[in-house]
Amino acid sequence: MENIILTSSSTTPYFPEVNFDFTSGVCEIKGESYMEETYKFYLPLINWIKEFTTDVKSKLELNIKLIYLNTSSTKCLLDILELLKDYEDKGGNVKVNWFYDQSDPDMIDEVEDFEAESGIKIKLIKFE
Amino acid sequence: MSYKTILSYKGPFYIELISVFGTNIRNLNDVYIDARKKLFKIFIELSQNVSNYSEDFHIVNNIQRIGVGELNVNETKDKYYFSTKNQVKKTDAEILAERCKLINSSEYNRLRELKREQRLNSPGEKFGARIGLIQAVMLSKNTLDFEVENINDTFSYFTLTVKIDKN
Repeated sequence: MENIILTSSSTTPYFPEVNFDFTSGVCEIKGESYMEETYKFYLPLINWIKEFTTDVKSKLELNIKLIYLNTSSTKCLLDILELLKDYEDKGGNVKVNWFYDQSDPDMIDEVEDFEAESGIKIKLIKFE
Repeated sequence: MSYKTILSYKGPFYIELISVFGTNIRNLNDVYIDARKKLFKIFIELSQNVSNYSEDFHIVNNIQRIGVGELNVNETKDKYYFSTKNQVKKTDAEILAERCKLINSSEYNRLRELKREQRLNSPGEKFGARIGLIQAVMLSKNTLDFEVENINDTFSYFTLTVKIDKN
């Protein structure tokens, strides 16, 4: 299994920065997410989570630091959260943290909806 | 009421253009920051709807479909107005109009439920979440204005306008 590291670029701000590290089990998605063909971007991340939760089976921490995501990205992120919920239900150790800008109250509603839809607990943390 | 044009564009809705336009709108000035954050989110969402669903489109590199349409961002003293206009099938125009009416007649909490239901039941992949119109109303807390204009027996233009209060 390999790590996924995608860096951000000012010329393509619609792609988030991604760092999925299988040795530590810490996964981070950061920046903004509103690319075209959203599913093509997220599919390798979804497959990575599937592989981690079936083969590695150790503690997984997902840190989401997105200041904006379009509704297509929310669908893909929900797919990831549902996988993590399945993993948790099977005894996996999962932690999900959502870092948000306190001047953006709409994001809090969004996270509450993700919790309700996926069934997984999400810890809200204000950006430093 | 005096309108000032912030942005007006007609042509293919490439992501690169949408992103530059959206970022400029978000960083326009130092006032009405919260309203411009909402405008940015709605701008991206509805512009991508044109890109994904306009019946007038370009095919790039034999694969990628880029919708063609129009957008306008205007402001008055107390509101921003964002409009998109694109070609749709007549049958889809009727469905869209009914959808706008349903969204406009729903309270915030009902919209939230609709959004959850729609996202959970959407087929995903290339179809996305199909909740952009609901999201626009939830963010702006204003109803959608829409207009259907006949082109021929097969197609219509669908114009959608979202109002965002500055305060």
